[in-house]
Amino acid sequence: MTLHDLRLSRRNLLGAAGALSATAFLAACGGAGGGSAAAASQLDIYSWADYFAQDNLTAFTTASGITPKITTYDSNDTLSAKLNSAAGTGFDLVVPTSGWITEYASRDLVQKIDHSRLNLSTLDPSLLDRAYDPHNQYSVPKDWGLQGVIYDPRAVGGDITTWQNFLDAGERPGVQGKIRLSGSGWENVGVALWADGKDWNTTDQSVIRAGGDRMKDWVTRTKPQFTSSNVDPIVNGSIVLAIHDQAGARRAIEQNPALRWSVPGPTSQLWVDSYAIPKDAPHLDAVYSFLNYELTEKAQITDTRFLGYPTALAGLRGKLPPGIDNVDLIFGGAGVDLSKLTTFVVNPDTIPVYQEIQTELHALS
Amino acid sequence: MTRLRSTRAALGVVCALGLAVLYLPLLLSVLYSFNQGIDGRQTARLTGWSLRAYADAWQDDSLRSAALTGLQVALVVAAVSGLLGSAWGYAMVRHASARVRRALAGLGYLLVIMPEVVLAVSLLQFAGRLGVPLGFLTLAAAHTPMTMVVVALIVRARVLTLDRRLEDAGRDLGASELRILGDIVVPALLPAVLTGTVLAFTFSFDDVVISAFLTTPSVSTLPVYLYSSLNYGTAPAVYAATTAVLALTIVVLGIAGLLHRATTVT
Amino acid sequence: MPHLLAAAPGLWLTAVFVAPLLLTVALSFAHPGFGDVTFGFTLDNYRTALGGLYAQTFVQTVVLAVGCGALSVLLAMPIAYFIARHAGRFAGALLAAILLPYFSSFLIRVLSWQVILASGGPVDSVLHALGLLHAPLDLIGTRAAVVIGIVYGYLPIAVLPQYVVFSRIPRSTTDAAADLGAGAWRRFTSVVLPLARPGVATAALLTAVPMLGELVVPQLLGGGRGLLLGQLLQTQYVQSQNYALGSAIAVLILVAVGVLVALLLRLTRGFDEAPR
Repeated sequence: MTLHDLRLSRRNLLGAAGALSATAFLAACGGAGGGSAAAASQLDIYSWADYFAQDNLTAFTTASGITPKITTYDSNDTLSAKLNSAAGTGFDLVVPTSGWITEYASRDLVQKIDHSRLNLSTLDPSLLDRAYDPHNQYSVPKDWGLQGVIYDPRAVGGDITTWQNFLDAGERPGVQGKIRLSGSGWENVGVALWADGKDWNTTDQSVIRAGGDRMKDWVTRTKPQFTSSNVDPIVNGSIVLAIHDQAGARRAIEQNPALRWSVPGPTSQLWVDSYAIPKDAPHLDAVYSFLNYELTEKAQITDTRFLGYPTALAGLRGKLPPGIDNVDLIFGGAGVDLSKLTTFVVNPDTIPVYQEIQTELHALS
Repeated sequence: MTRLRSTRAALGVVCALGLAVLYLPLLLSVLYSFNQGIDGRQTARLTGWSLRAYADAWQDDSLRSAALTGLQVALVVAAVSGLLGSAWGYAMVRHASARVRRALAGLGYLLVIMPEVVLAVSLLQFAGRLGVPLGFLTLAAAHTPMTMVVVALIVRARVLTLDRRLEDAGRDLGASELRILGDIVVPALLPAVLTGTVLAFTFSFDDVVISAFLTTPSVSTLPVYLYSSLNYGTAPAVYAATTAVLALTIVVLGIAGLLHRATTVT
Repeated sequence: MPHLLAAAPGLWLTAVFVAPLLLTVALSFAHPGFGDVTFGFTLDNYRTALGGLYAQTFVQTVVLAVGCGALSVLLAMPIAYFIARHAGRFAGALLAAILLPYFSSFLIRVLSWQVILASGGPVDSVLHALGLLHAPLDLIGTRAAVVIGIVYGYLPIAVLPQYVVFSRIPRSTTDAAADLGAGAWRRFTSVVLPLARPGVATAALLTAVPMLGELVVPQLLGGGRGLLLGQLLQTQYVQSQNYALGSAIAVLILVAVGVLVALLLRLTRGFDEAPR
């Protein structure tokens, strides 16, 4: 053994010792805080913010003795990144949007639903057994929404019934710069793809890129904003043309009845936020007990009124109590045909393309 | 003398304007905590007065525990970074070895230019690969590099203006290193240490990026909750929770101030 | 004792900062996948990260951060000076007042700026009432709103280090300069400022550099228009889950900013001990 080797091995040893002590230290850190044995009456939900009516949560706690603890995410991307990381273990229930279920199932991040412990027969059949999760092996629908457009008809000069209308309206002088697109790449590229009669679930990257190029040209001229945050700027007229879901539209129109909402053709997005159970969920009994409670008619109606999105209960529209403002809008407006709409399915091969285009759209706006 | 007075008046006006700008958004957020909003969401238009948001915030277990966890994390972070950050800031200037001084300063610069998201993801990946379970202490530990460097740099700026001859004089008179530190250095640095520690607390309590990556099912904080609600309309309850925390802070700081005055007067 | 003072923070930082950072460097040479990496050695990530869009974003962000940083330091300077030299026994209370807003959520306060700067909001109304403006003013979604929000956010951090050094300058020093006939401005530029340099430099560093990664303000007040580094990095880590590319971008930012800061320090000698 030469002197050189000796030094090297000593360095390795030191490195190993350092890593070891760091491990021991960090392990001590985590153990003291999070690793303790979980109580039986616990339920850890990772969900969108304000996504469960407080009345439901309170009633469930009274009935079961379980207090659900809810932590929140801002996007499916955040949920996905979290589930994929060390910080993602320990959740009992998550609420991803439809398209991500396939990806989670294929990566083994979620477990199969035990249908013997749940009764889905009260739910709307049109929301069950869809392409992203055949036979609802991994998911149970919670509520659904649509990708549509909120607009000021005076500013855009008429009605918007197709995505081509939307693109044309954006080029008008009073509309440029007062537009809001979605924060998600596929929802924005989808606009161009649908206007051209294409499918956003295509695996052909050149089709996606062509749609992306069309949007990039459009964005360069029309200078939209992107944050999908609150509807205040739409209400006060700073934004006159915005991609939004129906719940936001309902809030905006309640404050400014001159605004209109439409789901442009030939097709648009239907998303279904769905319950899914992470692979190693520690409190399975609590999960099923909570799901059974949430699927009761009373809870479904309460959540619908709280959220402004319709839950999955069959015949929900007829079961809502009278006197709710703009009740049509909760269901996306009168005359929306769900069978004509399309649901995005996350594909690891095309996601980076959509993300890249979205980044470029931001840069060009 | 009149010129001095007019300079001072001008500076006072700038200071007052600065404070006004700092407080305007704060007062607005307090105002909006009493706003009804529409369909359970906050609106820019004031739609009517209500205390409901406070009741909602109190009832919401997740919101309450997020606020509480955040406070606890911030206290731990402030204590650790107050101690270690001050030691670091002092050693950066006074350590006998130039190499150690340079290494410590280099570490500080590296941290200052480190984007938060990189720090968060590195730590998360690191913990994941080592199989370290995440929890309260890992979240607190993750905040410390950012907050320590704030304390260290503020303390460092103070040490640089500190007259070294005082310490040397102490040494000449035969005082131990510990006594020099306790009797000369610490009292002189105390204001800087306290300022830094308070800043560390607020950094931690208000941090979004690092916290968002390191929160777990059992440990989450208020800003993470708030950030996640931005895209879909914020609940007025969040405004109420924030206002309540602020009010609590004012009370605690007020009591601390009174105690401080009482002890210094007697 | 002096060794302990250096070793304690050093060891702690090694565990929670240096080791994870080394992992990031290793990741930057790995082969990317969606939400996963395969360790190896490739320069592809760096090749992508040096592409046109990313370089352009980097330059834009540096310009914004340097501008906002300078603005924060300059605005904070008279405030810090007043508190340190003229506020007397109210200095403590004023400092507390500067810090107090920080006990309320930054996100909430930025949301308030959305209301303040919106058309029909207070700024708009006041300017109209004064007759200074005739068209509706809508700042939301503009670069100006981003600058306002960022400077607002970092102002107190710029005040503190400057306050600390200003308060340390003995009154006798400025009095002596006054006796020698120096006016207020002259005293400030040639006596106070050189003595205060470490604090001013600290303030600049503590504001401009974190601004490079600012994420929330451009999103909430800038409408997501234009691309900044913070968002670019966040996209790689969260949306694309490309940890390898994200790490490469991060390493490049560290190197580039490191060089910039080092140059700045060399030029200004800003962190050296104040001359006596």
